Amino acid sequence: MKIINKLFATVAIASLSVAGFANAESVTVKYLTFSAAPNYIKELDATIAAFEAKNPDIEVEYETAGWEAYFTKLQTLVASGKAPDTYELNHENFVTYASKGALLDIGGMLGADKSIYNATALDVFTHDGKQLGLVESFSNVVLFYNQEMFDAAGVDYPAESWTWKEELEAAQKLTKDGNWGAFAPIQFWEFYKTIAQNGGAILNDDKTEVVIDSAQNVETLTWMIDKINKYKVTPSSAQMAGQSSEDMFKAGKIGMLRTGIWMFGAFNDAPFKWDIALEPGNTNKAHHFFANGVVVSDKTENPEQAFKWIKFLTSSQEAVELRIAAGWELPAVSDPKYAKAYLDQPIPPSRDVVFKALDSAVVPPVIANWNQLTDAVGKELEAAVLGTKTPEQALKDAKVAIQAIM
Amino acid sequence: MFKQFENFSAGRSLTYILLLIGAAAMLLPFAWMIATSFKGEGAVFVTPPQLIPTEPTLDNYFKVFNSSPMGRFILNSVIVSSLNTFLVVLFAASSGYAFARIKFKGREVLFYGYLATMMVPQQVTLTPLFVIMNFLDWSNSYQALILPTSFSAFGTFLMRQFFMGIPQEIEDAAVLDGAGHITIFYKIAIHLAKPAMATLAIFAFMASWNSFLWPLIITSDSSMMTLPLGLSFLQGRWTTDWNVLMAGTVIGTLPVLLVYIFTQKYIIKGLSHTGSK
Amino acid sequence: MFDNIDKSKYLALLVLLLPSLLGMLAFVIAPIIASLILSFSQWDLIGDVKWIGFDNYTTIIFDPAVRTALFNTLMFIAGYLPSVIVIALGLALVLNSKIKAKTFFRAVYFVPVVTSWVAVSLVWKWMLNPVYGIVNYGLSFVGIDGPGWLYDPNWAMAGVILTTVWKDIGFVMVIYLAGLQDIPENLYEAAELEDANAWQKFRFITWPLLARTTFFVTTISLINSFQVFDQIWVMTKGGPAGSTSVMMELIYKNAFSYYKMGYASAISWVLFVIIFAVTITQNYLQKQRSAYNV
Repeated sequence: MKIINKLFATVAIASLSVAGFANAESVTVKYLTFSAAPNYIKELDATIAAFEAKNPDIEVEYETAGWEAYFTKLQTLVASGKAPDTYELNHENFVTYASKGALLDIGGMLGADKSIYNATALDVFTHDGKQLGLVESFSNVVLFYNQEMFDAAGVDYPAESWTWKEELEAAQKLTKDGNWGAFAPIQFWEFYKTIAQNGGAILNDDKTEVVIDSAQNVETLTWMIDKINKYKVTPSSAQMAGQSSEDMFKAGKIGMLRTGIWMFGAFNDAPFKWDIALEPGNTNKAHHFFANGVVVSDKTENPEQAFKWIKFLTSSQEAVELRIAAGWELPAVSDPKYAKAYLDQPIPPSRDVVFKALDSAVVPPVIANWNQLTDAVGKELEAAVLGTKTPEQALKDAKVAIQAIM
Repeated sequence: MFKQFENFSAGRSLTYILLLIGAAAMLLPFAWMIATSFKGEGAVFVTPPQLIPTEPTLDNYFKVFNSSPMGRFILNSVIVSSLNTFLVVLFAASSGYAFARIKFKGREVLFYGYLATMMVPQQVTLTPLFVIMNFLDWSNSYQALILPTSFSAFGTFLMRQFFMGIPQEIEDAAVLDGAGHITIFYKIAIHLAKPAMATLAIFAFMASWNSFLWPLIITSDSSMMTLPLGLSFLQGRWTTDWNVLMAGTVIGTLPVLLVYIFTQKYIIKGLSHTGSK
Repeated sequence: MFDNIDKSKYLALLVLLLPSLLGMLAFVIAPIIASLILSFSQWDLIGDVKWIGFDNYTTIIFDPAVRTALFNTLMFIAGYLPSVIVIALGLALVLNSKIKAKTFFRAVYFVPVVTSWVAVSLVWKWMLNPVYGIVNYGLSFVGIDGPGWLYDPNWAMAGVILTTVWKDIGFVMVIYLAGLQDIPENLYEAAELEDANAWQKFRFITWPLLARTTFFVTTISLINSFQVFDQIWVMTKGGPAGSTSVMMELIYKNAFSYYKMGYASAISWVLFVIIFAVTITQNYLQKQRSAYNV
């Protein structure tokens, strides 16, 4: 291993001297991103052009990778001491990188400018009291519905007061002629939010005990599965046969769909009228809250320039306006004028729901070995959906698996 | 052999029918892939499945080419795959010959060492290899894309098996003429081995052409990226456009099929007719 | 005289073997050794390497995920290996006999071999689609209600095996065709004089004389099928409910999703030992059976 450490050291020194040499005039800041490809490359290019116009001494070089390949690539770069100066991380992976000490504390450089960000969203990117990243955007999941299907079936549009019961009744009326009333995926992410809608959780509040097999969680999972098997208002994965729920919604085959606001752009040209509403809960309201952040590597040679870039990317007027216009998730800045620009866009009409959903936001119970936990629980959920295990058994087994991982 | 079939026409017809069904099964997926790549957005998810699109469109192909600098990616893929193929065949033929025809101490052990390298998953050697490339300061370069995969234990194994089949008399005759191993290899063995080399070449070309994980990690500049990376950009985080994806797959598959069509007379006929006689 | 032969031999080794050996050492063996060293460590790829001795290996013994993956990998091999060898050998025998258009058939059966795994997996995922796919559509004509394939834990592995056999038949067939060419025609003529039937000719001439070919084919196929990954990653990601989780998929997940490079390396080395042992045993058994072997 010493050899490899030595290699790392040599590489680091080599890159140091190269960087130092080129520094004389302009500095290059490298940026690795997953959220830009394939749809928002143009916006990223424009953002960089605007930044470089204002900072002629800094050049931003970016690289994109698809979501699946991104973390494989990032880990290899970080492992061999070639981490990009700045890179994008979602909330869960931020926790991993932060706890491994791979990120630069930018709290000092940010200082009082903290207030330009939405406080809750910025707080997601703190770790042990240090600001280790800036929030770039946030998104959440709401209930999308096809207004024309509701009209045709003579059903009232989903209201804020709806619970699972009203949702199911509406879904039953909408399910006909090969169309399905409602859809929510049965996987880990949907599960931790749905159990919160019934007052449940995966871990207790201080993350010391696994409570995934509680009675209300069994009830929740049973309800999720019953929509497929008992009430038949939701297609099974075999019935969907590789077609995504989003594609089916856009094709007018699903009445109510729980999915992310990142689909606004894709649904923009749907051939029917649609809108969004708050998700019905059972005993509680609960909505997903996802945040992407941008971080500075602790190995960077140019921390100030790197910070300048990520601050520009996440909060400058140019970047924020580009994002809002393109529907590239939602910038998490506090200035209400941007929220207004967002709300003023015509489709979908009830855009204020996006902000209302924040009042009941649930964040995932991120722990170390997070990906392993999501895989383990996901596998048990699959078994329950397929009927090879009862919901009780699946959640009991999930509990054992989580305990082993923790 | 199977002479009785010739006299028994029912059995013979059955053989042909089975062969034809099998051939259809071999080609059907390609027909399906090509058909889907010309389908419009609405025509993908329909029952019964459409084998021939009712309203064919080229949109999917435009989308593929607009998604990234595809021309550059294809050029890189051609450069990398051709050089890589050449090197794989060169090193595999020479080392395969050495293992098959030159007796030396430790030959068996060394050969099993080569074989053993095939048994370690690439996933865990990726990171150390990347460190080595950085040490050589090769990241983002053609040599980093080409060299690490130019030494193929599979190729050595294939060529060794082939060279072992060359009759001893041929070698003895050459030795009587005063030829050493190097002369025998370049003047005789390599010519006899053309079919095996063609087979290896198509495998090497294919592996290099389709390689994804290594180029993903070693390139960071789009001027160095290869076709599979470009195709991976087609799959978004949330949705998959099957028809666009299939158009990308057609673009990725076509060149290898073309190489195959041009070399297949060596591979198929050659392997069966010249063999090692 | 002997000196000369030796000198020429060493020169030949220098020219023919050394370049390959050096490349192997630098780009293949060095990373492999690094992975062996890493298998005694805990490394998340981000922080420092922590040495933990044999802990990874003891963890493997009690890890149910490893057991499931190993079991599924063996199931894959049990389904795949005999099918591909029997079908490909049968095909090679037929296409080596006096039959019309054999060049055409040989070429067609080889086409899947030259197609990428990702493309093949995507297309087959599509074809095996229970609702929109062409396989179940075809089955419906003969009155069979096709299974859910990749969406059904009992059928997913069968779908993967079917796809893999489809892709590899041509490769194995071509290798067998080459092997069949090496069998002298006069052996069959002699057998005919003794009134041997087709089965006897196959059993006592063809099969034993194909031993070297069979060794090559089974060795390559075994090594490859222990490392089956691409098609599973594209078609099922190890699902549904873990029913197609195989060793390589487990290694990939541990290395790049769970931040456990050390553990992934250890599993790789366990897999390595298994494959190596199987290869050696298989080679030994074949040597016992036939003189026509390596």
